[in-house]
Amino acid sequence: MATSKVKYSEEELVVALKRNERTAFEFLYDHYSGALFNIICKTLRDEERAADVLQESFLKIWKNIASYNPEKGRLFTWILNIARNGAIDAARVEGRKPIMDDIDDRVALNERDTSEELNTVSSDMKSIVNMLRPERKILIDMAYFQGYTHEEISEELKIPLGTVKSRIRTALQELKQYFAV
Amino acid sequence: MNIQAYIESGILEEYVLGTVSPQEKQEVECMSHIYPEIKEELMRTESALEQYALKHQTPPPAFLKETLFAQMNFDEVTEEPESTEAISAEPTLVQSDDNIKKLPVDSDFRAEVQPGQAREVNTDATIADSGATVIYPSWAKFAVAASILFAALFGWSALQMSGVKKQNEQYAAEMAVLKSDMDVVKKDAEYKDALASLYRNPHHKVVRMAGLEKSPQSIVAAIWDTKTNDVLLDVQNLPATPAGKQYQLWTIVDGKPVDMGVLDQEFSHKVLKMKQANPGAVAFAITLEKTGGSPSPTMEDMFVMGKV
Repeated sequence: MATSKVKYSEEELVVALKRNERTAFEFLYDHYSGALFNIICKTLRDEERAADVLQESFLKIWKNIASYNPEKGRLFTWILNIARNGAIDAARVEGRKPIMDDIDDRVALNERDTSEELNTVSSDMKSIVNMLRPERKILIDMAYFQGYTHEEISEELKIPLGTVKSRIRTALQELKQYFAV
Repeated sequence: MNIQAYIESGILEEYVLGTVSPQEKQEVECMSHIYPEIKEELMRTESALEQYALKHQTPPPAFLKETLFAQMNFDEVTEEPESTEAISAEPTLVQSDDNIKKLPVDSDFRAEVQPGQAREVNTDATIADSGATVIYPSWAKFAVAASILFAALFGWSALQMSGVKKQNEQYAAEMAVLKSDMDVVKKDAEYKDALASLYRNPHHKVVRMAGLEKSPQSIVAAIWDTKTNDVLLDVQNLPATPAGKQYQLWTIVDGKPVDMGVLDQEFSHKVLKMKQANPGAVAFAITLEKTGGSPSPTMEDMFVMGKV
């Protein structure tokens, strides 16, 4: 992935995006397209469709950047929502529920993600990637990446709703500790 | 409000995950607006998830970026009138000069920063704005000034126009009132003239119909021209007709009612021409009938009656 040499703080980036600066959008793409594509693929699984959705989402981001309000949340949360909704809509258009693997499959996938990362990240990062226990990671991925409600997760995984909620909470606490600024 | 309890309730996590109801969403947004601690916690959660997401990347196809950016249009940058902001962004642009694609406006901006070179680089500016110690292209200034002036003029004239229009409307309304007043006066005069001449005519027999139990206040006069047998009515007082009803005039001839026609719905302040009367009529009466009249009178709905 090519990265431009321009560095932006989130604030600067938002200002530049709202000013419709090409460099800012290139930065946004270089910085976030991998994460967004990963999320879209999790819902659609078909890479070609996923690429279309990523493109549509990015155009939507570009067109609607004026409506993004930093007061309400971080930029990434906003663009992730656009991409995630795009993926869910696309899955619905194709007349099927967003892909849901059984847990084993899911865990295997997560391990694949992890091993991919291991090549590129420092050993310090390994612990971060590994820190979430698989059964919690699934919940985060389903809720955050794929937009499942807690009720849907509970139904899909046959885990009591209370357990879903508490696991997600614990997982988020752990994430916050790991990524504490 | 126990902020800590609110934070620990788990609502913020659900908010960030996007699984809250629209109502809860609004609530969280409101709370984070009021309590900085809540906002900070929200940002921390969002930030943690963001970094988590960034740890999981799948590179999209390489061609995608080019296809995507080909569909985007960044022209608006050149149209931005906020030159000052553009200049403040300059250092980043200069620093990254070699690595990024130059924006078409780049050279213009640089010209603005270095006035010494401005004349050489940006000929547009010098031609259009001779002599002035200027940095910005003069057309831009003129355009801005012109548009402000235009906007101001437009606003002012719109204001004036709306005032004039309002006044016009007011005059028109007043005129309409005056006119209708005049019409009333004129009609009234005509009506009174007509009545006066009717009453003065020696051939005219005036039959006064007085109100019955049903409507004691009612009073109508029938003016019967004994020469021609024409009958005119002067309604001095009758209640307004209910919907679907109409007054009907009758004469009594040989002990039987004879239809004399229905009264116009607008029966006040004018002389109504009715059917010709039978010379043997001994009485006049008015009943309330269905619109258009009835073949025989409804006796319970007789309002006025007068003997000849």
